[in-house]
Amino acid sequence: MDMFLDMFMWHHQNKKTQNNFPSLIDYSVVETASNEVKKSNNLPFLVTRAQEDVSVSLPSENFYKASIRDFSLYYGKFKALSNISMDILSNKITAIIGPSGCGKSTLLRSLNRMNDLVPNTHTEGEVLLDGTNIYTPGVDIVGVRRRVGMVFQRPNPFPKTIYDNIAYGPRLYGLRRRSLLDEIVEQSLQQAALWEEVKDKLNQSGMALSGGQQQRLCIARALAVQPEVILMDEPASALDPVATLKIEELMQTLKTDYTIVIVTHNMQQAARVSDYTAFMMIDSPQTRTGILVEYEATSQVFTNPKNKQTEDYVTGRFG
Amino acid sequence: MTSTAEMYPEKRLIASYHTRTGYTRRKITNVGMLIITGILTFLALVPLVWIIGYVIYKGGQYISLDFFTQMPKPLGMEGGGVLHAIEGTVILTLLGGIISIPPAILAAIYAAYHPNTILGIAVRFGTDVLSGVPSIVVGLFGYALVVKTQGHYSALAGGIALAIIMFPTIVRTTEEMIKLTPHTLREGSLALGAPEWKTTLSVTLVAASNGIVTGILLGLARASGETAPLLFTALGNENYEIGKIISSGVANRTGIMAILTRIFEQPVDSLPLTLWKYAQQPYPERINQSWAAALILMILILTLNIATRLWMQRRMSRLQGR
Repeated sequence: MDMFLDMFMWHHQNKKTQNNFPSLIDYSVVETASNEVKKSNNLPFLVTRAQEDVSVSLPSENFYKASIRDFSLYYGKFKALSNISMDILSNKITAIIGPSGCGKSTLLRSLNRMNDLVPNTHTEGEVLLDGTNIYTPGVDIVGVRRRVGMVFQRPNPFPKTIYDNIAYGPRLYGLRRRSLLDEIVEQSLQQAALWEEVKDKLNQSGMALSGGQQQRLCIARALAVQPEVILMDEPASALDPVATLKIEELMQTLKTDYTIVIVTHNMQQAARVSDYTAFMMIDSPQTRTGILVEYEATSQVFTNPKNKQTEDYVTGRFG
Repeated sequence: MTSTAEMYPEKRLIASYHTRTGYTRRKITNVGMLIITGILTFLALVPLVWIIGYVIYKGGQYISLDFFTQMPKPLGMEGGGVLHAIEGTVILTLLGGIISIPPAILAAIYAAYHPNTILGIAVRFGTDVLSGVPSIVVGLFGYALVVKTQGHYSALAGGIALAIIMFPTIVRTTEEMIKLTPHTLREGSLALGAPEWKTTLSVTLVAASNGIVTGILLGLARASGETAPLLFTALGNENYEIGKIISSGVANRTGIMAILTRIFEQPVDSLPLTLWKYAQQPYPERINQSWAAALILMILILTLNIATRLWMQRRMSRLQGR
C-alpha cells in the first residue's frame, strides 16, 4: 500500500523581497521571539514568502474532493489570495488556520463561490470540485452551493420556525411533499444532534433557541440539501465551551458522510478536530495578500512543522 | 492597602480624582444634568400633551355616534356627521397606499443593494428632495397630471397625490431596515443556493418586516393628515357615500368594476379637508364639528397604529421567538 505515493507540490513564486518596509505592526516583538529571522538583509518582519517547495504526502486510497490549483483572488485591485494550491481530501476534516486578515475565510468562501457576492471580485486559477472547475464561465452557481454547504461564524437562523428553517433548502429545490419534508427535517436534525432537543417545538422560531442550538440548527439546515462538502467559518467562535464541544463532536460524526473544511482561530480546536491543517499568512504588511505557507497532516503541523513561520504560529509566538 | 493614588501615580495629575471633594463635585454635576434633561424632556412633551388634550377637550364635546354614521346636514341645521369624510379619508389613504407601497418597497430594495450605482444614488437623492417638496406643490402636480387630463376632480387624483406624499417616507425607512438586517442572514440563504430574489423575498423582507410596516404606517399617517395636496385633486364632496354607490350598483347589477370606477372617479372629501373647510365657516355648529373631525382623525390614525403594532408584535414573536 503506497501511502505516500500521491504527492502534489506547489511552487510559490520567488518574488523579489523588498527591503525597508515601513512597519505597520510592531515587529520587534516578533523579532525577539524568533531570533532566526535574518537581520542581515533587513527583513524586519517575520513574514517571508516560503522559499522552498512545500510538499504534502497524502494517502492514496482517499480521493480529492476538491482541488485548489494556483488560485488567486482579487477584490478590485487588492490581491487577497495568491497562488493557493491545495487538495482537500474526501471525508476528512481540513482546518485552515492563520492570523487575522490572512484570507482564511476568503479561501473558504472561494470553495462555494460566496465571494461572488462582493462586487469587483475576480479570480485566477481553478477550484476543482470532483474534477470540475467551479470557476468555469457559465457554471451553475446554485448547483455548486447546493453541493458545498456553509455554516457561518455567527449562528444565522432565518426568522422562521425551526421546521421552515430546515425545509427552506429542500423547498428551494422544488420539494413540496409534506411527508418527504417531515422526513428530511427529522433526519437533518438528528444528524445535527438537535432532534431530541427540538422535536416537540418544531413550530417555534429558530431564533428562540440558544446560541449552540442555533448553530446546530444552521448545520442541520445545511445538511438538509444533502451537500457533499460543508464549509465552516469559525463555527464555534461565538459559542460557549460546552456548545463548542458539541459542535466538535458533531463534526467527527459528520465526517463519515461529508467532507468538512473549517476555518478556525482556535489552534487547539484545529488540533483536536482536523485531519489536515493548512497554515496561511499574509505575504507582507503592504500587500496583505494571503498565501498558503504549509499544508500537512494536522499532527505534522502541530508537532513537526516544516516551516519556521508555522512553528512560530502554532507555538503561539505570534498571531 | 494601597490607595489608588499609590497604585497609579499618574492619576495624581488629575487633582480631584481620588479626593472626597472630587466625588462630591461629580455627584452634583450628575444630579444637575439629570434635572436639566428631565426639564427639557418635560418641555418637549408639553406641546404634544397640550395639542392632544385640547383636541380631545374641544372635539369630545361634540362627538357622538351620529357624527360617525351620518352624512352632513344642510347649513344651519343641527346635527349631521362626517361619514363622507371618514369614508373619503379611508379611500384616499388606501388608494395612496396601494399606488405607492409596491414601487416604494421595490425602489428601497434596489437602493439598499446597489447604493453606489447611478440609479441607487438617484433613488436616495430623489426621495430626499421629494420629502422636502411642499405638499401643495404635490397637489398642483396631481392637478396637472390627473385632473387636467381627465377633466374633473376625483378620488383617484387625490390618491395619486397622497401616494407621492408617502412614497419617500416608505422608501427611506424600508431601505434603512433592509440595510439593518444582518448580512449573514442573506448569506445563509444564498449559501443554500437560493437566488437573490428568493432570498430577498423570503428572508430579508421577512426579517425587516417590522421596520417596513412601521415605515408604511408613518407614510399612511402622514398622508391621511394632509390637506394641501387634496385641494386641487380630491376637492371635496359632501354627497360622497360609498354605501349608496355600492347598493345602487348592486341593485342595477353594474358589476364590481363599474362600482369601483364610480368610487374612484368622484371628487371626495377627507377629514383634514373637511376640518379646514368647516373651520372657515361662520357657523358655530360647523366650527364645533371641525374640532370633532380633528379628534376623529387622531383616533383613526392612532387606532391604525396600535392595531398594526399589536399584529406585528404577535407575528414577530412567532417568527423570532421574542
